[in-house]
Amino acid sequence: MSFLAPLFLLGAAAIAGPILFHLIARTTRDRTLFSSLRFLRPSPPRLTRKSRIEHWLLLALRCLALALLALAFARPFLRQPTPPNAAQGPARRTVLLLDTSASMRRPDLWKDARARAERHIREASPSDQFAILTFDRTTALRLSFQQWEAASPADRTAVAIAALDTLQPSWFATHLGPALVRAAEELSDTDVSQEGVRRRVILVSDLQEGARLDPLQSYEWPKGIEVVPDPVKPAITGNASIQLLADSPDADRGNDPVLRVRIANSADAKQEQFRVTWGANAAANSAPAPPPTEVYVPPGQARILPLAVPTNAPSLAGTASNTASLRVASIALSGDNEPFDNTLFVHPPQPSQLNVLYLGNDPVTEARQPLFFLARALPETRRQTVHISASRPTASPSAESLDNARLIVATDSLPDTLADALRSRIEAGQTVVFAPASAAASPTLARLLGVPGTSLVDEKPTRYAMLGELDFRHPLLAPFADPRFSDFTRIHYWRYRRFATPLPTNATVITRFDTGTPAWIDFPIGRGRLLFLASGWSTADSQFALSSKFVPWLYSLLDLAGASTTPALHPNVGDPIPLPTGRTAPLTLRRPDGSTTNLPVSLDRFTETDQPGTWWLGEGPTAVPVAVNLDPSESRTAPLSVEQLEKLGVQLDASLSSAAAPTPKPAGIPPALEAESRQKLWRWIIIGALAVLIIESLVAGITARRVSTAAQPA
Amino acid sequence: MSIRSLELRARAVVEGFWNGLHRSPYHGFSVEFTEYRQYTPGDDPRHVDWRVYARSDRHYIKKFEDETNLRCHLLLDRSRSMEFGTLSHTKAQYAATLAATFAHFLHQQGDAIGLMTFDEQVRELLPARHRPGHLRHVYHAIESPAAGTSTQLGTPIERAADLLHKRGMVILISDFLADPAELEKPLLRLAAIGHEICAFQILDPAERDFSFKQSSLFEDAESGNTLQIDPAAARAGYLERLNAHQQSLAALCARVGVSWHPIATDRPLGLALFDFLQDRARRGRIIRRAS
Repeated sequence: MSFLAPLFLLGAAAIAGPILFHLIARTTRDRTLFSSLRFLRPSPPRLTRKSRIEHWLLLALRCLALALLALAFARPFLRQPTPPNAAQGPARRTVLLLDTSASMRRPDLWKDARARAERHIREASPSDQFAILTFDRTTALRLSFQQWEAASPADRTAVAIAALDTLQPSWFATHLGPALVRAAEELSDTDVSQEGVRRRVILVSDLQEGARLDPLQSYEWPKGIEVVPDPVKPAITGNASIQLLADSPDADRGNDPVLRVRIANSADAKQEQFRVTWGANAAANSAPAPPPTEVYVPPGQARILPLAVPTNAPSLAGTASNTASLRVASIALSGDNEPFDNTLFVHPPQPSQLNVLYLGNDPVTEARQPLFFLARALPETRRQTVHISASRPTASPSAESLDNARLIVATDSLPDTLADALRSRIEAGQTVVFAPASAAASPTLARLLGVPGTSLVDEKPTRYAMLGELDFRHPLLAPFADPRFSDFTRIHYWRYRRFATPLPTNATVITRFDTGTPAWIDFPIGRGRLLFLASGWSTADSQFALSSKFVPWLYSLLDLAGASTTPALHPNVGDPIPLPTGRTAPLTLRRPDGSTTNLPVSLDRFTETDQPGTWWLGEGPTAVPVAVNLDPSESRTAPLSVEQLEKLGVQLDASLSSAAAPTPKPAGIPPALEAESRQKLWRWIIIGALAVLIIESLVAGITARRVSTAAQPA
Repeated sequence: MSIRSLELRARAVVEGFWNGLHRSPYHGFSVEFTEYRQYTPGDDPRHVDWRVYARSDRHYIKKFEDETNLRCHLLLDRSRSMEFGTLSHTKAQYAATLAATFAHFLHQQGDAIGLMTFDEQVRELLPARHRPGHLRHVYHAIESPAAGTSTQLGTPIERAADLLHKRGMVILISDFLADPAELEKPLLRLAAIGHEICAFQILDPAERDFSFKQSSLFEDAESGNTLQIDPAAARAGYLERLNAHQQSLAALCARVGVSWHPIATDRPLGLALFDFLQDRARRGRIIRRAS
């Protein structure tokens, strides 16, 4: 028998206490009231042999209780080469949960974690059940219980270690919560007949603060499954990270484009002074690299740094001339000891070019006509450049201009050929807005709709008409669905056109005037749509162009026409990249490491972003860059308190619970502790001591009663 | 002692005693029993009861009540040491019953009963009277709880000597666990007044024999002092010192003319009363013989 805390055996010396007390027990305790002491002289008790023998049983019981207590505190355990219960089937069912997240790329961490995992595998006896799960953003089963069982007992260790061979830390974030839930579910599958099997999850991880634990909040941790954290610790503490922030609201203003980055320093960091430099890509055009920016970030704090885009980097205002030359860049943070998260890949957002074709007879300078308002309502922004080309209907715009136009707006009668061309474009998927200035455009509408005989009638309300009925479920009006924006009653309509013939059955009336006449009608035709406005936005027709609704309405119209298909600005590793729609050929995807993949037409988004860097969608100069960065939470490398797991209901191993070990133990679980915590002999010894004490109380009670009766004078 | 009421207890003892008295060979002796005395030459003829003479043709002297009735004063020790007892009753309960028995017995005879309770000083004093209801006052005073912390017999006896001028009988009931030397002077003074003094010493059997077995811390009931005592070792010395004390007390009483009655609380009260009367009869004979 060995002892975990042999010093407690010294407590057995307390046995001398009861012996001594028994020797001098006749001195003090009992008091006898007597009438007068005048005839008595003090007579100290004699330590006779007889007096010691009187309570031999009590003495033995008391000594035994003390000895048992000392023994229990010394935490004895039996050093046995084979685990207990070997003959009774598997003693333990263990899931090894190995962290392969990006933070494990820190120096020596992976090596250490790998060594620990191997040690746990070797400690498992062949009669145990063992499974290996790895986790980062997702949880993967590397070795199932079935595979373990299938291997011959002698080979099991080798099989399990072989499962670790190909593993390397990924670039993904740490989703610890789902991994624990998955591990618990794997263990919960234990057959009921195997009751008494110790089920545990050995968690080999750096247990970083940024680990996601969300699913644990809604998960009831199964009883009897213990988590044994075996954290790996980096040699150096502290980590600083760099993160790109969203543009500030006024980013579109001003001439000096800036990127806002946040430099965060962990609380346990030693470094405070950092340097932010533009990476090599920024200086691709042989211009001198911009000077680094110094930043001071105290431990535990963060600084937001407006970083001026170097002049040789792409202009964020984005014009066609410089976007082709250089479109991606990286920002490096130096001065930090942990390099894995110190590079930020950015690419300035490319303004999307939108072509709008206006077909009408009014000049752009006429301040009462639709084109005047249209040209001014859609200014150029960093994200979007709207190019409006106006053409007289009679001038027969080229087929190319019709093809390139995302949105076509017609306000006059069109020649039949042009109307047919528009009809074919609509069927191909384009969006056309037809807002005729008078009922004379009925033939054009008939051709566009493909419904001969369609005719319009001019209406002039006595004073004015208002939009009385609006369908906010329609995508065009959806942005106005909020009650704050849904008031269209301030817009007065002086004139409008009414369908003299019945509406086609597939028409959707978006709004009606208060007279009940449809105002905006959506006609789906083929893959596109025709939007008919019974009253346009020229001042002769209505006040719509002057209202606050007009510009949002136009952007809503552009969205309806499929303008906003730009991918997310800066996805994290693991986030999907939306792919452009309407592709006709497979899209080539180039990874940061240079490898390429062809994406089929049917794929609408690419999900396997497994490394940070710049990914390219497409080939050649038209390739779209997507900067993929490390998940910012992965940079929060401060150790996670084990108590947080406990708070979420995770049952920790008793010997490693927060009360015993608030901070993770660097050296793992010693074999002696493991054996002791498995055997728990001290519990039985304590029970034995309690039993002895109860017997002692009974014996003492009986003895005391006997003594008290003897104390009475005969 | 199984009867809770002190009055009933006293009455039971006395009536039991009277019942036994019919068969007693000691009929006729009592405390100043006669009311009529035969005329002898030399008596004052004014005291002759002529009506008796008319009926019986004999001369009898009719004595005044004041002269004929006995004044008996009970001096009862109520100190803490009397609270000791290893039987079902304490010494104090035994002494109270004894005092009540005397009171009842004497009251039945028409004697006047007085009471003085004391510990280190006089606590209660009832003058000797023979009135209806007086006996009840006596019972009540006897039953009042003990409060004293020590026994100083000398002071109360001195005080009794100051207060009891008229000759009578003084029955002193105590455990006499005090220095005998202190007693001599007050007792002599009391006896000099002409009182007939009877001393009853009440002792518990455990005090008498020191029959304790278990070694323990002995605590003085009055002073609270403690002593570690091993009874086996201490018994011999205790008994020796107790006997010496008893002998010195007996010697003192003999010297002063006090009748001395040590009683253990395990002795029935009736027998104690009987012992007392028998002793008185013997004394009476001795005195008569001596005279």
